[in-house]
Order: sequence, then C-alpha cells, then structure tokens
Amino acid sequence: MKNTQTAPCPLKDADCPVQAAYTELKAAYDLLEAASRIDALTGFFNYRHLLDALNREMERTRRTGIATAIVMADIDHFKKFNDTHGHDAGNLALQWVARTWREQIRSIDIPCRFGGEEFVIILPGTDLPGAIQVAERLRVELTKAPLKLDDASLPLSTSLGVATYTQKLEWPCVEAFIKAADQYLYQAKENGRNQTCYDQSKLTPPATGVTSEERDVLFSL
Amino acid sequence: MKPTGQAPATVSITSGKGGVGKTSLAVNLAFALADMHRKVLLVDGDLGLANVDVMLRLKPAKTIEDVLLQGQDPHCALTRISDHLAVLPGSSGVPAMVAPGSEKRSQLTDFLTCVMAGFDVVLLDTAAGIGDDVMWFNTFARHTVIVVSPEPTSLTDAYAVIKILAGQYGRNDFKLVLNFIENAEQGRALFQTLHQAAQRFLNLDPKLLGTVVRDPKVNQAVIAQTPFLHNTPGCPAAASVRQLARAVGALAADPAV
Repeated sequence: MKNTQTAPCPLKDADCPVQAAYTELKAAYDLLEAASRIDALTGFFNYRHLLDALNREMERTRRTGIATAIVMADIDHFKKFNDTHGHDAGNLALQWVARTWREQIRSIDIPCRFGGEEFVIILPGTDLPGAIQVAERLRVELTKAPLKLDDASLPLSTSLGVATYTQKLEWPCVEAFIKAADQYLYQAKENGRNQTCYDQSKLTPPATGVTSEERDVLFSL
Repeated sequence: MKPTGQAPATVSITSGKGGVGKTSLAVNLAFALADMHRKVLLVDGDLGLANVDVMLRLKPAKTIEDVLLQGQDPHCALTRISDHLAVLPGSSGVPAMVAPGSEKRSQLTDFLTCVMAGFDVVLLDTAAGIGDDVMWFNTFARHTVIVVSPEPTSLTDAYAVIKILAGQYGRNDFKLVLNFIENAEQGRALFQTLHQAAQRFLNLDPKLLGTVVRDPKVNQAVIAQTPFLHNTPGCPAAASVRQLARAVGALAADPAV
C-alpha cells in the first residue's frame, strides 16, 4: 500500500497554502511514481519495474535457495497483424493478451511488458516444471480466446521461452537471466511458433523409476 | 567393553515399502548388539511419525524435535535404556519434521555427530518411502542396509530405493536383510532375484547381510511393546537377529570400512 498521508502543517494553520500545495504535489508524485512503473497500454508493469522486481526475486533465491522463474512471450506474426488490421487493432491485441493472461497467473506473479509485442512474467518461488505449466497455460488459453474485432474473430498465438534461476545461481545478473529466456523464445519461434521452449536438461530425467525391463526380472520371483 | 576411540559405524536401515518389519528389526538388532557389549545408539529416523519409542513403551522426555525445533541441548534428547544402549527418539505427529530444509539438515548433521561420539554402532531406522529425509539418513550413514520381505511390492520398492541411492546419490555398497522368510529356498530366491536385477541394470553387487525367519513371536512382541529378543529369547527370529548382529558387529569392528 502506498502511503498517501501527508504531514500536517507544522504551524497548525488550518488554512495553510503551503500545506495545500504540498498535499497536491504529494498526490501527484504518488500517481507519477505508480505510473512510472506501469505500462499505460496493457496495465502490466513496465521494463523499469521488471528489472527492479527481478533483481529482488534473484536476491531472494540467493538467500533461500528457492527458484525464481521467468516466462518470456512474444505474439506470433505481430508485424503482419499490424500490417493487415492496422496499429489500433495491434494495440487492442496487446491489451487483449494482457487481459487474458492476467486471469491465468497468481497474485504473486509479476506480469511485465518487455517492449513491443514481448512480455515477461516473473514467477516468484517457482521451479522449471511449474513455470512450464504456467507458460503452456498462457499459450493454450490465448489460442482459445481470439480477439473479437468488428464481427471478426482474429486468432492470436504466442511463442514462449522459460528460464529459471535456482540455487545453482546460473545467471550473474538480471540481463543474463532475461537473455536466457529470450534464447528459448527464439528457439520456439524457430521451431514453428505457438509453443514453449526451455532447457530440457534441467528437468530431472524420469529414469529413476523402475522400468518394465527391471520389473520383468523382479517379477520373475 | 572395547575402547571407543574410533568413530562409530553408522548403519541406516531402510526399505522403501513400509510394513516390512524394519523398525522391529532395528530395535531387536540394537538389543542384540548391546548384548554383545557393543555401545549402541538407535536413532529413530522417522521424523514425522516416530515408532521406536512405541515399540519399547518409552515415554521420552525429549526427542529430536526438541533439539531441532526448540533449540534444546542435543545430549538431553538421548534416552538411556541400559549401559550399552541408548535411543534417540523421533517426534510423533509433527509435520514440521517430515521435510527438514537444508538448514535443518545441516543442524541434524551437527546434532548426530555430537551425540554419537562414544558409541560403537549407530543404527538409523528410516521412515518408509523415498522422501528427502529418508535419503538424508541413508547418505549420512556409512552402511546402507535394505530390508526386504518376500512380497513383490517390497522387492520392487527395495530395488527402487537402491536405484535412487545409486543413481542420484552415488552409493554403491548395499547390504540386504531378508525378513519374514519361510524357508531357505524362499530366501535364496528372493536374494538372487534382487541381486540379479541390481547387477544387470545397476552394475551393483549387493551383499546378503542376514536372513530373519518368519516367526509369530515377532508380532506378539510388537503388541507387547517389548523386543522379542528379550520377550522370547529362544524363538527362531531371536536366533536370526543374534546372527545378524554378529554380521553388523563385524562392520563396526573392521577399521577399513
């Protein structure tokens, strides 16, 4: 919660003009402070807040060992969408994606607009399997919710990259962490779009279960 | 009593599956080793649902929980049973103890290292399952004893535990104790099956440490909350456990291991 309280006039003047001006400035400052962290078009947090928040979450991982995940997403063929339907429709599409996704994330998650048609969602305290599930949910839910525009129904899809910061402290800084997610996003685009990519080798291989060949021997008793 | 200058032999007792007689075996094995004048510490490694105290009708004043969660003196948590036997009771019905985090685990290492000085053998009875706490006790101990009964579920779970400890924790030395065995042929088949799977798929050579025969006296002793080793010292299971104790005692006597 923002503290919108202002200090009382030190001279206890009920009709103090300095006090009035101060109160007004304080309110304006609070508004600007909040606005400076919000992307006006989508209502998501902006790039500046992304860097601050991600820095804090990485520090939390360093202290607790609990992983932080980020999902980086890019709307597929967005340039073509703009060329076909116009920039106003493009802006509506960005707003629609943000609105659809806001319902799919937890209250502790931090949705940010990275720039252009790219989004980064910070998932505090989330490991890779959990983050993959979130990314896939975002992708699937958007494909189920086309943008309605003047009787037309315009399908939207996204490509997503997932990266995690764990107690192995994989990335030296916020920028490197984001870049890792960006590389998986690029891979998702390369592989044909409308999909989620991540570091497969970071998932625990399921090879520890007892296989059917092993069961054959054990069940021979 | 032998001099106790060297570090104690730490032996974890685990099974994957519950209900294979693991805790009863650990308790009686501890008594058998104490009867051999070994100084034995029996640790109840089931941090959430401790049972060693119940098996012995103990009402421990302090448990592992009091040390880890209440910050009490480690030594006050030991319950002395005899000159040669002490129990470190676990906590019963304390969910906070089930999955100790990394900080609690490092405290547990310090705690156990501190209280086990002066003992010859430390038996760590783990919980069932393959949780982090179970794996922790198994990697803390120098020797891993896997208890397996002739049930296919026990066999499969015992194999799964071995596979995890080998694959994820780099353990390669396993000792098998067969429990609830009807006859020699059944024991041989059980050992061979498990050994064959471990050898073929995991390239391991688990050793047979001992076999405990099926004996109705075991269950009667559990209900009477007394070790069968003392309740019915002449019963077949008691003879099996005394033989097993000699094998475990040999682990402790060998300075190379």
